Amino acid sequence: MPDRRTTVRSTALAILFLAAAAHAHAQGNYEIQVYGADTVAPKNLMVELHSNFTPEGQKYIIDGVYPTNHQEHETIELTEGLNDWSELGFYIFTSWQDGHGVQWVGDHIRPRVRVPDSWHWPIGVSLSTEIGYQRAVYSPDTWTWEIRPIVDKTVGRWYFAVNPALERTFHGPDVAQGIGFAPGAKIGFDITKAVNVGFEYYADYGRITSPDTLHNQQQQIFAVTDLNVSPKWEINIGVGIGPTAATDHLIIKGILGRRFDWGHHSPVD
Amino acid sequence: MLTRRRFTQLAAASSASLALPRNVAAQMTMPGAPSPESAPPIPPNAPPADFTLTIAPYTLDASPKHHIQTIAYNGQVPGPLLRLKQGRTVTVDIHNQSPDPDLVHWHGLFLPPAIDGAAEEGSPLIAPGASTRISFIPDPAGFRWFHTHTFAGNDLRKGQFSGRHGFLLIDPSDTAAQPDFDRELFLALHDWGGQMVPSADGSAMPMYDFSTINGHVLGFGEPLRVKQGERVLLHVLNSSPTEVHWIAIAGHTFQVIALDGNSLPQPRTAPMLRLAPAERVSAIVEMNAPGVWVLGEVRKHLQAAGLGTVVEYASSTGAPKWIQPSDLVWNYAQFAPSANSSASAVFDATVTEIPLTFDSHFEGHGNGERWRINGRSYPDTESPILHTGSRYRLVMKNLSTDDHPIHLHRHIFDVTSVGGATMRGLFKDVVLIPAQATSTVEFVADHPGNTLFHCHQQDHMDRGFMMVFRYA
Repeated sequence: MPDRRTTVRSTALAILFLAAAAHAHAQGNYEIQVYGADTVAPKNLMVELHSNFTPEGQKYIIDGVYPTNHQEHETIELTEGLNDWSELGFYIFTSWQDGHGVQWVGDHIRPRVRVPDSWHWPIGVSLSTEIGYQRAVYSPDTWTWEIRPIVDKTVGRWYFAVNPALERTFHGPDVAQGIGFAPGAKIGFDITKAVNVGFEYYADYGRITSPDTLHNQQQQIFAVTDLNVSPKWEINIGVGIGPTAATDHLIIKGILGRRFDWGHHSPVD
Repeated sequence: MLTRRRFTQLAAASSASLALPRNVAAQMTMPGAPSPESAPPIPPNAPPADFTLTIAPYTLDASPKHHIQTIAYNGQVPGPLLRLKQGRTVTVDIHNQSPDPDLVHWHGLFLPPAIDGAAEEGSPLIAPGASTRISFIPDPAGFRWFHTHTFAGNDLRKGQFSGRHGFLLIDPSDTAAQPDFDRELFLALHDWGGQMVPSADGSAMPMYDFSTINGHVLGFGEPLRVKQGERVLLHVLNSSPTEVHWIAIAGHTFQVIALDGNSLPQPRTAPMLRLAPAERVSAIVEMNAPGVWVLGEVRKHLQAAGLGTVVEYASSTGAPKWIQPSDLVWNYAQFAPSANSSASAVFDATVTEIPLTFDSHFEGHGNGERWRINGRSYPDTESPILHTGSRYRLVMKNLSTDDHPIHLHRHIFDVTSVGGATMRGLFKDVVLIPAQATSTVEFVADHPGNTLFHCHQQDHMDRGFMMVFRYA
């Protein structure tokens, strides 16, 4: 997915600072999700719509990148299960904004593998890698790559997940920046069988060898709820705040997913 | 969630056992349940017993690639066949060389609670390193079995998840009652390498690495060698801790003659067998299709997991053949002498009804559910009082989305309705109660003493799906 570096700069001073900042200015918030370790079952297609709106974000064009303020991002994610331990995901990113209309932003492809259940690991572990393109008006770094280890664990009513993602730019101003560190984490609690509430954390610390100052790091905390109304449906909604200057200050997100089982099933399968 | 620490805390609050350390005894029984006493030792200078069971660690080699470290009887899986004579007193020495307290449940027999083998009824536990001797009169006749009856909790290597199960055949005192057959074969279906994984309905449930018949995955172990024209009596036991299994023999059909060891008035032909955990089926197969065949799970993924064996006719060679059925076919009513009984015949005013509602309480996606009978989980479940000689009808309303293999110790059910199908004259000690339906069974209270009633899925009984009937 496009990295979640929102690099919100809301003042002219910040714009000036950005000119000298290490990172190129890029939009994010197309897919705001902490991954769980499980993969989509074979012969199943997961269709997800990620809808993210930024009520309070970047208000200026920086480095030729459109501002995020009042921008609506709609992302379609298609994930096909390949076997019991792998899947392949594909993203179509779009953006809508007053004055720009509906715009195609880019596409990514994301293969993922996981530790099979038969290994009996006490935690869920999977590894995702994602490569793709996004238009320069939404991200100066047009070709990017990410590798995302995923670890999760369910303990009774509690759910924990960590995604210590590493990012790399192949084409764009940040190509010489090396590897960036953009972790995500989630903690959730089952209120009922259908309702889980919790928090999600997203960050971009900048280069892994030379992290940005806290002021320039992107930090977001979302209060979220997952609604487990049916095995076929996935519903996640949340409100996030970005307390640092480099982050969009307020984001509303939603994920609506529907699982389609296209395999032929008989009672004797 | 019930953790080992929690077990110990609860055990510390419960009554003391005679010889077993409290926390050790409590590990093998439900948290909060009374701590059982320890079994008496074998008297010095006692004469040799008729049978000996040694409970000890064992490595099962189900194939060159499938190995399980488990606990077994007499160094084999399944355990030894104990063939007893109805009404003739037998003594069994039990040596516990495993690291945990244990006991042996004699499933389907009319035994006193003290030796039935359920701590919830008051049967004593055998401490690690200890031995005990039991003596009993086998009754009733038929295909029964013996197995551990201990708590597994979150450790899916313990309890019925282990290899502690064996065949028990009680030959009738009336030899004229024996069916006509040429030879008998005993088959035990089991699942291994369980782990709790999230299920589609939200709570964790056991999934398994592989499955076996008589301790081997399909393709390994000795085939069942038969001769053309033989009538082979198969005694099939589902010793799985949690899984229902469907069995067929390619090219052959079954003449079912007994369910759970209880003879049917007339044999019934069936293309396949369905066995819930703890159920048994005795069926004659006429060997009239020479060749090499697969006897295995009807469902493809479970046969692929190993649940099968090879049936090989004398002088036949080649790869074993499997003919895949297209559907699952089984119905209790087809084995009842009287199906679709009228309502007036089923609902007899002299029978005392005991309504039981089964449901579960969500405990988090990382846990199994907490199972409840009439809104309460064991050890807080009700204890209905039975009067000797009276007849009772259990009206079981299963509100859950799971089927439950229901078992009543030391008694036999007269199955009267399952999921809406009424019947008469079908006698069983385990009945699979379908989800979201009401089923009824009747029984006569003719074996005084504490009597355990439970779902035979190990994870369900460990999570509260038990209750104890008491006699007045």
